[in-house]
Amino acid sequence: MIAALLAPFPIAAGASACGTCGVGDPTLTIVGFEQPKSQRVRTSATVRHRNDRIGEAQIDELRLAEQRMELAGAYSPSDRWTLSLMMPLVHRLVSAVNLAEADIWAPGDLEFRARAVIWRDRKFAPRHLVSLIGGLEFPTSSIERDAEGVPLPLEFQAGTGSWDPIAGASYTMFSDPWSLYVSSIGIFPTKGTADTKVGLSFRQTALGQFQPWRFLAFQLGVEFRIDQPGYIAGVRDPNTGGHITYGTFGLVGLPHDKVLLHFTAAVPMIQRLDGSHVEGLALTAGLVYEI
Amino acid sequence: MRFSLVIAAVLLSMALLPNCMRVTDGIEVDVAYQPAATPAAVRTDLGYRVRLDRAVIAVGRVELIRCDNFVLDLWKLVRAARAKAHEFSSPTSLGVPLVIDLMESAGVPLFAGTLRPPPGRYCGIRVIGMPADQDAEGLTDENLDMMQNSVVIAGRVEDEAGEDQAALLAEIWEILPCEMRFDRPLVFDGPVVESVSIQIDLTKWFDGIDFALEDSTAVQQRITENVRSSLQAVLPSKEDGL
Repeated sequence: MIAALLAPFPIAAGASACGTCGVGDPTLTIVGFEQPKSQRVRTSATVRHRNDRIGEAQIDELRLAEQRMELAGAYSPSDRWTLSLMMPLVHRLVSAVNLAEADIWAPGDLEFRARAVIWRDRKFAPRHLVSLIGGLEFPTSSIERDAEGVPLPLEFQAGTGSWDPIAGASYTMFSDPWSLYVSSIGIFPTKGTADTKVGLSFRQTALGQFQPWRFLAFQLGVEFRIDQPGYIAGVRDPNTGGHITYGTFGLVGLPHDKVLLHFTAAVPMIQRLDGSHVEGLALTAGLVYEI
Repeated sequence: MRFSLVIAAVLLSMALLPNCMRVTDGIEVDVAYQPAATPAAVRTDLGYRVRLDRAVIAVGRVELIRCDNFVLDLWKLVRAARAKAHEFSSPTSLGVPLVIDLMESAGVPLFAGTLRPPPGRYCGIRVIGMPADQDAEGLTDENLDMMQNSVVIAGRVEDEAGEDQAALLAEIWEILPCEMRFDRPLVFDGPVVESVSIQIDLTKWFDGIDFALEDSTAVQQRITENVRSSLQAVLPSKEDGL
């Protein structure tokens, strides 16, 4: 993973222009939020940590601590299109009430996304962008089972194990030193390779950013997610479905013209998840390299 | 474009990484039923001789009881009566229904399953006899009546002199909660494998019954009480575990 992350550095050593300069706007953006610019290539490595609890405490509770390491690359073939590919490697520690533990390393689902800018207020350094998003999650993960051969709850799987189309739209506003990002994404899972069926998921993100200095920005936002219930072998997983809203706080820094660092903490604010299911604090840290 | 291809190749190669999983077992309690050997005729404490043709019991649930919660939980019993057995499995309870033919399985331990309780002190175990589900293990065409009954006993009773004989048929449809204390608490504070044997001794089921004087309803009631009190939970002796 480290090698993969470092690979672009020597290749791109000859390049000079900084990414934010090239698009005519100084706003610091992580992969997926950026302004497309022809031939712009970005890579990123992101580590996400989250906690999850399913079941009743001291009775049948399962606890999950997950670290998801994502390598991604984004390429803009034109000023309107951005194609991205993201591959997660997931580490999960699942603990049961009887002190049994399962320590799992597994690849997650490879994700491809295409973003097309369908409207912008001007060609160079646009202040308003409206985009459509389409994509597909590939079933590169496998369904994990416990010692009895019973599949782990869907919430504890590294991926859905199914072909999952993605569709959505986003709006981005750039008004230095402020910026705003709003997106609505739907994920439409199909039947999984191990007779799983994850429910449809809708995600809404609203993120405001204030960048008082060229090298540092602050983010404040809200993430909302609503899921349909999931099924394993035709039986509903009782602890799936419902909705949750996170409040997010983030920092984005530019230690070098080509390197961007970001950190986000997401705190569950409203949880209305079905069954006995509690999601905890989620932390994200990452590095973006502009080639 | 060259960079993009390199990145795409790296990402795709990650998808080929094999899974790696390490499982650490936690606290486990194996539970087995141990029917006692069935004699040709059971001699009761009042001198009657019971010759059995049939003795079948259906158990629907087994549950470990914490030391601080040994008082009978009425709500749990109500739930047990209302729901089907398969719905209850949890780390401290097994909801696997089982039909045990005591005439055929005498002396043979029948594995009920493995409990995976959280750390704590456990002072006993609760077994609930109840009519079987249609997918209960041990349910056959010959004992389909166990879907309506918890216990079925059929045979003949002879008096002490062996002169008078009468048919015996007891069909107990009630839910039978049976609570048993261990002779020592099970204390779990780390991963361990323990076992509990639930002994079923039908030679005690007819004690205290005066078949000549009591009507069939009273006989069935006494048998019900005797079934509940005859079950015993036995832990392996500490020497066995060394």
